[in-house]
Amino acid sequence: MNMKWSRVWLIYAREMRDQIRDRRTMFTIFVLPLLLYPFMGMLMLQVAQFNSEHPVGVTWIGEENWPQENPLIVDSDANRRTNELIRWNYLATSELKSDAQAEAEALVREGRADLVLITKPGFREWLSQSKLGVSKETSPATEITTSATASSTASQTQSESGSVTESATDVASSKSPILATQSGGPPPLLTVVNQASDGSIVALKRVGNLLESWRSAWLREQLAEANLNPSIVDVINVERIDIAPPETKQALVWSKILPLVMLVWALTGAFYPAIDLCAGEKERGTLETLLCSPASRTEIVWGKLLTVICFSISTAVLNLFSMQFTSTFVINQFASAGATDVVQALGPLPFSSLTWLIVILLPISAMFSALALAVAALARSSKEAQYYLMPLLLGGLPLVMLPMLPGVSLGTGTATIPVTGAVLLSRALIEGHYTEAFLFAPIVIGVTVTCCLLAIRWAVRQFENESVLFRESERFEFRAWLQNLIQHRTPTATANEAMLCGAIILVALFFGRMSLASNELSWSSMTQSTIVIQIGMILAPCLVMATMLTSSIWKALRLGRPRLADMLFCLGLGISLHPAYMLLSSAIQTEFQLGADTKEVLGYIDAMISAAPLWSVLLTLAVIPAICEELAFRGFIFAGLSQEQGTLRAIIVSALFFGLSHGVLQQTIGATIMGLILGVVAWRTGGVLGCIVLHMTHNTLTMVVARAGKQADLIPRGLDWAFERTLEGGLAYTNTWTILSVVIASLILAALVFNKQSSVSCFWAKDRVVSPES
Amino acid sequence: MVQVQDLTKTYPDLSEGTRVAVDRISFSVQAGEIFGVLGPNGAGKTTTLRMLSTILRPTSGQIIINQASIDTEAHLIRKSIGFVSNNTALYDRMSARELVEYFGRMHDMERDELREKIEVLFKKLCMEDIGNVPCGQMSTGMKQKVSIARALIHDPPVLIFDEASVGLDVIVARALLYTIAGLRDEGKCIIFSTHIMREVEKLCDRVAMMHRGRILDIGTLEELADKHEQNDFEDLFFSLLTRHDQVTDQVDMQPLKPTTISRRPSAGAASV
Repeated sequence: MNMKWSRVWLIYAREMRDQIRDRRTMFTIFVLPLLLYPFMGMLMLQVAQFNSEHPVGVTWIGEENWPQENPLIVDSDANRRTNELIRWNYLATSELKSDAQAEAEALVREGRADLVLITKPGFREWLSQSKLGVSKETSPATEITTSATASSTASQTQSESGSVTESATDVASSKSPILATQSGGPPPLLTVVNQASDGSIVALKRVGNLLESWRSAWLREQLAEANLNPSIVDVINVERIDIAPPETKQALVWSKILPLVMLVWALTGAFYPAIDLCAGEKERGTLETLLCSPASRTEIVWGKLLTVICFSISTAVLNLFSMQFTSTFVINQFASAGATDVVQALGPLPFSSLTWLIVILLPISAMFSALALAVAALARSSKEAQYYLMPLLLGGLPLVMLPMLPGVSLGTGTATIPVTGAVLLSRALIEGHYTEAFLFAPIVIGVTVTCCLLAIRWAVRQFENESVLFRESERFEFRAWLQNLIQHRTPTATANEAMLCGAIILVALFFGRMSLASNELSWSSMTQSTIVIQIGMILAPCLVMATMLTSSIWKALRLGRPRLADMLFCLGLGISLHPAYMLLSSAIQTEFQLGADTKEVLGYIDAMISAAPLWSVLLTLAVIPAICEELAFRGFIFAGLSQEQGTLRAIIVSALFFGLSHGVLQQTIGATIMGLILGVVAWRTGGVLGCIVLHMTHNTLTMVVARAGKQADLIPRGLDWAFERTLEGGLAYTNTWTILSVVIASLILAALVFNKQSSVSCFWAKDRVVSPES
Repeated sequence: MVQVQDLTKTYPDLSEGTRVAVDRISFSVQAGEIFGVLGPNGAGKTTTLRMLSTILRPTSGQIIINQASIDTEAHLIRKSIGFVSNNTALYDRMSARELVEYFGRMHDMERDELREKIEVLFKKLCMEDIGNVPCGQMSTGMKQKVSIARALIHDPPVLIFDEASVGLDVIVARALLYTIAGLRDEGKCIIFSTHIMREVEKLCDRVAMMHRGRILDIGTLEELADKHEQNDFEDLFFSLLTRHDQVTDQVDMQPLKPTTISRRPSAGAASV
């Protein structure tokens, strides 16, 4: 039945009206954003004011040792303001019951002082004697050091030539500093602080400013008395010339904040309507009424989806506008108050940025909404839906946060990452890098739209799935479940079992690789590691699960009798795909550069492989991985995921598991793409053996080409039409053969997809369990 | 009007592997007939009626309603049925008029036709006063009336009532039974599931007795009474259950107060 958009519109209009009549939703979507930012602004201003205006308590032990003729507070406005924010408390050395440092630590630890400044006896005398031209120890060099790790750094602060040396002791650290006055140097000033306390940190900064100001003034005075030029203190005066226009700098700040705010709110805005429209309807019992109406499941999903998208976009846009309004108001206030630094750093939020953000928001909101709808459909109640949606938020946040990392910019690689690419694109547009943005926009839009369509498809499937819509409350009993697994085994795994197998493999690989990484780098240890990983961590989980959970290992691993034509097709595909894969691999390496350490290790491994016997290399890196990985990913996992008409799901998810099992990002991307092709082959040939042939051919060619490139300077005889020497001395495919091979591979794939009905496929399909939905 | 053949529904079950909810049941219902589906809780009544109303897909078997097959023409079946269930709730934030209009438009009815139909329907069901009341503020009886109006708005030839009287007080339940009987007299084909035997006795022309997913017997009340030589309908029902399994071990079968099956004058007549 064709979808009727008039019905979709009807459902959408009803859902919108229903949501608008709900006070809680209206508050979250419309009122909260309008109130949030003014409240946040007010709170932040108050916190900042508290931090900057709050006076701190400083106890000065041994103030009598400070020279009276040079008071600590040097006469200046800044120093006077700083001094007003310090509550001074004085303790004479003679009043102390114990050692000055121990007393100071106790004061700070017990919170009676934020900082204790200790001036040791002899400081004043030393200063009066250490005049320029009088003592050889004096020099303009001054060192003021504050240290959190007291004992190690404090000893380094003893400056033989410094006129004032300050050492900081941190009472939060376990060890007390051991200070020793070196003969000839000044007795050090000691500041005792607790760096785990905000008050102490503020006090340290303020006292540090006073000391630095005093040190500078004292030094100038000494230089003047010695008839030397006091400006020698400022011998290095660095001036900065910034060519960035203020608006660009302002855009840079906003470009990092706005996409994050927008996407977090788009996700949040999709959550509550999705919960209400799926789990809420189930809970209230209204879903049944809708399901027996003439509207098809697709129409229902689209109607609900449009509603969720509207709320997701509205929430994000309202937040952006509220933020724009509040920030403009606050910045104007700062400008009128003369705080030019804040105004220059931020500037009002430009409207053009908002326009670009809204353009990017549309597909992203659609994707989030479809995902939220599909996940919320799983839940039986609103409460349960919140549990399910939280992982979606946690999973989405890293993709939103990734662009915040330093050095992450828009490129071919980052553009292909869902959400991250969109964030980077919006950043480029806000910063005014239009050429870069429009260059990568097709990739970002392509990836986002694909993800969006997949998410919508998933949502529709969820609504077509009775076990999702009418899920009863389940009481899990382990014994009954185990008995059922043994007594009611099906020929192949279920989708859940396949997902579990994939997850087990990935976790096993994570821990396995970490523990094997410490092994020495030799060919024998590498062989052992590969065998352990392939057989123990990839093959074993799926074999154990196939034995325990299915009635036929043969069918669970898709080991149907293959046709000779299938095998030949796969062999041809393996050979013809290799040049394109090498090209792809090289492009990935260029886009995602390997680190120097990784390159060094890979170079060493490369040399090791070249030195090892060819049969051993092929067995370890071509035959064993091809068998183990294909049985796991295109065998057990594919068979499970393709249940309930889930062929597309099986192709995509098995490729993702296959890609992620490779560990290194560059390999993961290449392997995922190859996994998709292997998935198509697995689907059309109906078994796993064709995939093993393809995989083995591919790995063999990779090893042989790499070895041939290293071992001979000449191109193998008769193959000069296919190979050429690279500048680095390796062997590479010629452009002609690469293009030709892509054409051949495309033809073979087309033949498999469009013109083939494999006997294995039919044989296997006959034994499928009839699902309740089929 | 309604033909059901070997209808089966199974669910995957965590401990049992597969649970059979409905097991190869067959029956047919004619226009102007009230067909009762009687059974205890968990008998498979709701699952059967959910399959008839296209909410669930049968695992196997055939359903034909108004000459449309559920396998290929589920959308046509949805146009031919009205489904009322004690599980089906109403949208709390919509008024009765808005809700009925919404479902009418879902059935592609024109606005003018819809307005006229709503007026007639609301008058017939004595709902004129509650037309603009939000469903969330209605009593259970009012809500049931709105549900019936929603199911009738597109004038379907087949009406399915799934334990529609559950939770209603005596007065509203009686009014509901009168309404259903009236609909039969208008020539509607009605399938009425309940676990209350008195409702079956008063209302149904034919009855199928279900237990554990299977139909134990089917026929008019007279036929069943004669066949099983039981005048008491409750005794009749329990004797069938006893034959089917060992329920009697757990349930005291001795009747407290025998009920005599009221003989009905003829199928199709308003007898409530």
